[in-house]
Amino acid sequence: MTTLIRLEILRTLRNRRYLLFTIAYPALMYFFFIHAYDSSKLAGGLPVKTYFMVTMATFGAVGAVLTGSAQRISLERKSGWVRQLRLTALPGRAYTFGKIAASAVTTLPAILVVFAVGASQGVSLSAPQWIGLTAALWLGSFVFAALGVALGYAAAPDSVQTIVMITYMVMALFGGTWFPVSGSLEKFARFNPVYLYNKLATFTQPGHSLDTVAVAGLAAFLAVFVVAAAALYRRDTRQA
Amino acid sequence: MGTEVAAFRGVGKSYGRVRAVDDLNLVLRPGETVALLGPNGAGKSSSLDLLLGLREPDQGSVTLFGGTPREAIAAGRVGAMLQSGGLMADVKVRELVRLACDVHPRGRSVTGVLTDAGITELAERRVDKLSGGQEQRVRFALAIAGESDLIVLDEPTTGMDVSVRQAFWASMRAQADAGRTVLFATHYLEEADSIADRVLVLHRGRLIADGSSAEIKARAGARRVAFELHDADGEFEESVLRMLPGVQSLDVTARVPGVRTVRIRTADADASVAGLYRAGLYPRGLEVTGLGLEQAFLTITGEQDQYEAAKESAR
Repeated sequence: MTTLIRLEILRTLRNRRYLLFTIAYPALMYFFFIHAYDSSKLAGGLPVKTYFMVTMATFGAVGAVLTGSAQRISLERKSGWVRQLRLTALPGRAYTFGKIAASAVTTLPAILVVFAVGASQGVSLSAPQWIGLTAALWLGSFVFAALGVALGYAAAPDSVQTIVMITYMVMALFGGTWFPVSGSLEKFARFNPVYLYNKLATFTQPGHSLDTVAVAGLAAFLAVFVVAAAALYRRDTRQA
Repeated sequence: MGTEVAAFRGVGKSYGRVRAVDDLNLVLRPGETVALLGPNGAGKSSSLDLLLGLREPDQGSVTLFGGTPREAIAAGRVGAMLQSGGLMADVKVRELVRLACDVHPRGRSVTGVLTDAGITELAERRVDKLSGGQEQRVRFALAIAGESDLIVLDEPTTGMDVSVRQAFWASMRAQADAGRTVLFATHYLEEADSIADRVLVLHRGRLIADGSSAEIKARAGARRVAFELHDADGEFEESVLRMLPGVQSLDVTARVPGVRTVRIRTADADASVAGLYRAGLYPRGLEVTGLGLEQAFLTITGEQDQYEAAKESAR
């Protein structure tokens, strides 16, 4: 199974679209946002530079896992690679685990590159905060990896890209990725996993600890997505 | 039952109203090279899916090495190449073959597999940049990545040009020579004729013939006897020809006055020809030729269609 996981990671890192879309693009957007907003102010309870560093890191990470898992799974169900793998001694779960593991590894560069850019632009956090923030965002990405697996088993290959993009963009738009949500939008945003994901960064502010409501919300989403992914996976197996 | 590689017992499978596999009974023995023949939609791929546990039968049971297909695959006893088996994109051929060798409980060396599949020179190529025939050989490599006891190949030479196909047959034979049981579906009859020692003919989900390629040809009236009868040599009745031993079909034409051309399809050419002389006839330009497996195949499936049409109208 380690060979499969290694190969999944390797091929993702080899994919130029991945590098462009999930690493270069969020980093460039970050420059745009910190210049478009007054960086002396706060956004969503954080300094503007920190806020957008986090939202761009989550934007890249969610993009990496959704396209990496949903699109790949859907296409490989169609191409028959999933069937071919079922003719090997690998247990059926190995394929899905491989996808999630590869997603988890590939989100790290997406997070770290934006963090490096943020640090170079004057975001200043303590070492434990940097480490804690990286860990929080990395662990949070598993929620979206599970969503990606579910979408990959639910959607047909000709529609999966559209479905993934719409899900991704709507969650980002109303989740505070491009502008902090406030007022009545914020009421709905609590049911948006990306919003909760972005909220994981608030502990870096003086006097705040980790937002446990956001953590609980994300845990609930993870549970829902895992159950959905498992059910859809079983349905797919029956259809061969 | 230690001598059973695979067994279908009363297996049926439908997709909606389409009966893909109908009451299939079949046992594969160790060391056999078996061709599964049938027109498109005959149920070849469905049968292989059932054999490999990719689908569950509606009726009956499928066993591989006495257990479930999944157990046999997990134990590394089966290597398979599917017609619809996709390959992983964005990886090199060598990396993909290494994956297959690694996950097989009795995996072989990557170099050996690349050589046997004839893809050593493709090893550093990206999988998504291969031609159809090259992809087929990579799929074959995945099927032979371990020391499996049974190799299942679904339409393995589709997309290969003629010279590549010949080389591929040598690879298939090498697998059989290594003592493995080989089961392959094909619609190239030449492939079945030259490689298989047992041929199964599937038609509309039913197994309608099972035997050596020679037996199948014999069953279809495997030989054709052609000759001319000249009026100058004496009168004859067509019924005499019809009564000859082994005759399955008879065709008499008279294009030239006084000369009749006779074509007989017979299950026993020797007896038919002996009968001709015994009947006091004097055949000129006598020719006895074998029917190809292709004609045999068309005959058998055609007979089945007629039989079923007759049964349908009797209802």
